[in-house]
Amino acid sequence: MKAILVLSGLGIIALLAELFRFRRVLFPLVLLGLLGAVAAALSYFWFDEGKEWNDTYVKGMLVFDTFSILSSSVIIITGLLWLMMSQSYFKEESSKTDHYALFLFSMAGAVTLTCYNNMTMLFLGIEMLSIPLYVMAGSKKDSLASNEAALKYFLLGAFSTGFLLFGITLIYGATKSFDLPTISTYVTDHAGEIPGLFHAGIVMLLVGLLFKISAAPFHFWAPDVYQGSPTSVTAFMSTVVKTAAVAGFARLFAYPGFMADAAFWGPILAVCVVLTIMVGNVFAAVQNNVKRLLAYSSISHAGFLLLAILSNAPGSVIYYTAAYSLASLAAFAVLGIIMQHSGDDAMERFNGLGKRSPLLAFTLTLALLSMAGIPPTAGFFGKYYVFMQAFASGHAWLVLAGIIGSLIGVYYYFRIIIAMYFKDVPAGAEGSPAANDLQQLVLFITSLGILVLGIMPDLLLNLFK
Amino acid sequence: MIQYSWLIPLLPLFGFILLGLGGKKLSKGLAGIIGCGSVLAAFALSVGVFMQLHEGDKHIVKMFDWIVAGDLHLDLSFIIDPLTSIFLLIITGVGFLIHVYSTGYMKEDEGFNRFFTYLNLFVFFMLLLVMGSNYVVMFVGWEGVGLCSYLLIGFWFKNTEYNKAANKAFIMNRIGDLGFLLGIILLFVTFGSLSFEDGGIFDKASSLARDNKGVMEAVGILLFIGACGKSAQIPLFTWLPDAMAGPTPVSALIHAATMVTAGIYMIARSQVLYSFAPMALEIVAVIGLLTALFAATIGLLQNDIKKVLAYSTVSQLGFMFLALGVGATTGAVFHVTTHAFFKALLFLGAGSVIHAMSGEQDIRRMGGLAKKIPITHITFLIGTMAIAGIPFLSGFFSKDEILAYTYERSQVYWIAGVLGSMLTAFYMFRLYFLTFRGKFRGTHEQEHHLHESPASMTIPLVILAILAVGAGYIGIPGFVLHDSHWLHHYLGYREIITLSHEKEWIIMGIAIVAGLSAIALAWTVFGKNKTVPADDEKGFNSVQKLVYNKYYVDEIYDKLIRKPLDFISDIGYRVVELQIVDGVVNGIGTGVKWIGSVARYVQSGSVGFYVLAMVLSVIVIAMVKLW
Repeated sequence: MKAILVLSGLGIIALLAELFRFRRVLFPLVLLGLLGAVAAALSYFWFDEGKEWNDTYVKGMLVFDTFSILSSSVIIITGLLWLMMSQSYFKEESSKTDHYALFLFSMAGAVTLTCYNNMTMLFLGIEMLSIPLYVMAGSKKDSLASNEAALKYFLLGAFSTGFLLFGITLIYGATKSFDLPTISTYVTDHAGEIPGLFHAGIVMLLVGLLFKISAAPFHFWAPDVYQGSPTSVTAFMSTVVKTAAVAGFARLFAYPGFMADAAFWGPILAVCVVLTIMVGNVFAAVQNNVKRLLAYSSISHAGFLLLAILSNAPGSVIYYTAAYSLASLAAFAVLGIIMQHSGDDAMERFNGLGKRSPLLAFTLTLALLSMAGIPPTAGFFGKYYVFMQAFASGHAWLVLAGIIGSLIGVYYYFRIIIAMYFKDVPAGAEGSPAANDLQQLVLFITSLGILVLGIMPDLLLNLFK
Repeated sequence: MIQYSWLIPLLPLFGFILLGLGGKKLSKGLAGIIGCGSVLAAFALSVGVFMQLHEGDKHIVKMFDWIVAGDLHLDLSFIIDPLTSIFLLIITGVGFLIHVYSTGYMKEDEGFNRFFTYLNLFVFFMLLLVMGSNYVVMFVGWEGVGLCSYLLIGFWFKNTEYNKAANKAFIMNRIGDLGFLLGIILLFVTFGSLSFEDGGIFDKASSLARDNKGVMEAVGILLFIGACGKSAQIPLFTWLPDAMAGPTPVSALIHAATMVTAGIYMIARSQVLYSFAPMALEIVAVIGLLTALFAATIGLLQNDIKKVLAYSTVSQLGFMFLALGVGATTGAVFHVTTHAFFKALLFLGAGSVIHAMSGEQDIRRMGGLAKKIPITHITFLIGTMAIAGIPFLSGFFSKDEILAYTYERSQVYWIAGVLGSMLTAFYMFRLYFLTFRGKFRGTHEQEHHLHESPASMTIPLVILAILAVGAGYIGIPGFVLHDSHWLHHYLGYREIITLSHEKEWIIMGIAIVAGLSAIALAWTVFGKNKTVPADDEKGFNSVQKLVYNKYYVDEIYDKLIRKPLDFISDIGYRVVELQIVDGVVNGIGTGVKWIGSVARYVQSGSVGFYVLAMVLSVIVIAMVKLW
């Protein structure tokens, strides 16, 4: 709760900053605020280790339990790192304060998605998360692609919000409540005689949420929006936004009532898992444009996360999002630097990067290895735990699909690595792309995180017990 | 102090990181200080741990949960008990001396900093190997030292021959490692634990051994295969003589004092398991004895100063395995300790000789060096006497203990053992006489350049010489001095020897006489008659030819294993790989790409189509699930 307050407060300050002209202190201020929010979230673990939390706020509409604290920590830390690496994004436009405010409000929405206990809060969280994003996607005002991305995202997003809202209404119609525990008890009490109205609601709700995490067949917006948006915003979408949407998804379907009804929605999700993993990986394999490749890879990771949700393994969900966010931040940071240096994002731009900028190449390699799920990186254990839990809950076929998807993944992730280390520096390429100090710090932290989580996965997993 | 023992491996690791990151930016002086300092600090901590450790103590220092998956629960934790403590002292102590020596020996080398980087990494992995409190941590160290050995054998990587030697060492070791790994897996599958802690693998194996006799034997043999690779026993010994391609301090540290004794450590650590595997233990003894004899005979006719020492190392390691095989675990550890001192001394002495001879390694080109390099000469002589088993030097006591236990097991083994020690005494003194006595046989230029090595090299020699003389006193047998075998009490293995005191005296006496007569023979041939080995194998009889060519083992391996493997892999490459595997893989790859390239038309960019797709999906779901 403290985190939401801090983030919203900072957002308001950022708006005021424009008015009272203290823009310059904004960056350090926001940085400090986010650090404070991280500290507030982590303090839970520091001071009362092993405690069961169940702090309720706003008349029980928000509940902070272990899951929400952990996933909001992941979100805030990712947001903080994102802010540090995307300084250029905040500098390049005149309306810099707007960006801070948009980012912060979106973060507040993201945190709300980890702790809602009521359908209205779910809806509010999703909208708070998304609306600033529509603007951020279009923030490169003179770029056609950026404008197109914003419009597409907005149109399709609004469309999917319609589904979400419709779903909530139908469920209200069946259960006469927005309150999730009440809905949950309704389902367990009426086992075997659940009305079609409720199931129709579940389908609508699913569609809305599947859209948000860019799961196939509701993923069509993702590649276009990811590619068109400024690279920093894409990074934000594939880390913070994805984590929040997945956390919201996982939270909803982990309620005992929803879990009890898994026989109904489980098969739908299972089909989506296979589709998402396959579509994401197969399409990524044919891309020559690294940004679009990462967009499809982001879709495929949504598939693995769905599998974890389906297996009711919230611990794995958090671990996987943390691992993926770290790798994704590093990959997008390097991509951003390359794009700034060479002007586009074709695979050829990475040729010979191992010689030109060994440090960048190394961190990107580490990130890609983690995404591909190769030990000793965090991504390996992420996949390992997801597969293990899925196997334990009887989804052997989905595990098989996941493994095939991972194999395809190895192919295209290694294409980049091969380009960096085994291809010659293209003729005419001048200078070596370099990270600024803050970006270097971010790359260092993410690399360290990838390795530490990969060597000691229990560091994070043990918190979730 | 024991709770800080985790710092012992961490310090060299830290040194490695500093040196590795610093690279060539660090000055040689600073690199030397970091390299030596980190090992010295580790040595100081090891001494502290040793002082605090009581007989029969066993401490587990846990760092963190490492791997938890299903039934498998592994900690990254360290075991501190007398066995580990002895190895810690050897590794950090001898390691430090060799580091210091290297600052002098490698002074002119442009890879100075890289050398110390690898050396510190090696010390880290070696410490991990002996401190790991389960087989997996031990295996990590085991693989790590193999890697460092590879890097250091091929240290002068511009020489193709050296790279081949490095590859050979690595591949031979991998064969052994596979055995070790299979042994570990078999242990885990059968007993469900790999930890050395109380209630871990040893307790479980003891209680279940009766029902798993076959498994125990198999584990014993598999672990021993691992030991054969690392400790250069038949049939995996041929890499060690070739490994002499590395810089001499590496030969001293890795290929004499520490890494090659990892096999001894592993079997000593697994002593409980072997106590339920009599057949495996018999194999250990026989292979050890055969290796001891076999390598010793090869040593008789070698002319490269380092090669002689290398075969001598193989032979001495054979003695240690013999000791393990006949149940003298204490004796084996004892011999590891004394051998670490005198063999490191001999190698470093050889390095000093090579240094003085401007890189010459052929003993036929030496001679008469005693007066030119007096410190090297004296210390080398002490080392030679210690390994030859001259009474009251360290090698004497440890070898005697092994022979006494061997006698108790089998008199045939014992006779072979005595023969082996005679051969050792002979070829070591042959080496000594050819190198230091007689007239100088090198070129004029070499003679002109002869000089004693700098203090950084001679001081370690002197310290090691003192240890090579005195180290035997930690294990003076009980029949010589009542209640005196300190090492025996410290390690606490229950080994009881039933021989009468008279018999023990006789056994000792025979060993002394045998050794002295071998030395006398060497003196007659190479000292008095000043025989110098011929320059080629002409004039050799067929047995000599066989021995001179190392029994053609390398050639046999080449014909029997490498050629057929080459043939199979050639077929495998051309038929299976290129046709079948590549065909399938490329087929799938092309298929995936084709699907992708066709399907990408779906991703048309049109919002209307996207909305349509979504709606269609919802309709399909609704049709399937709601009607």
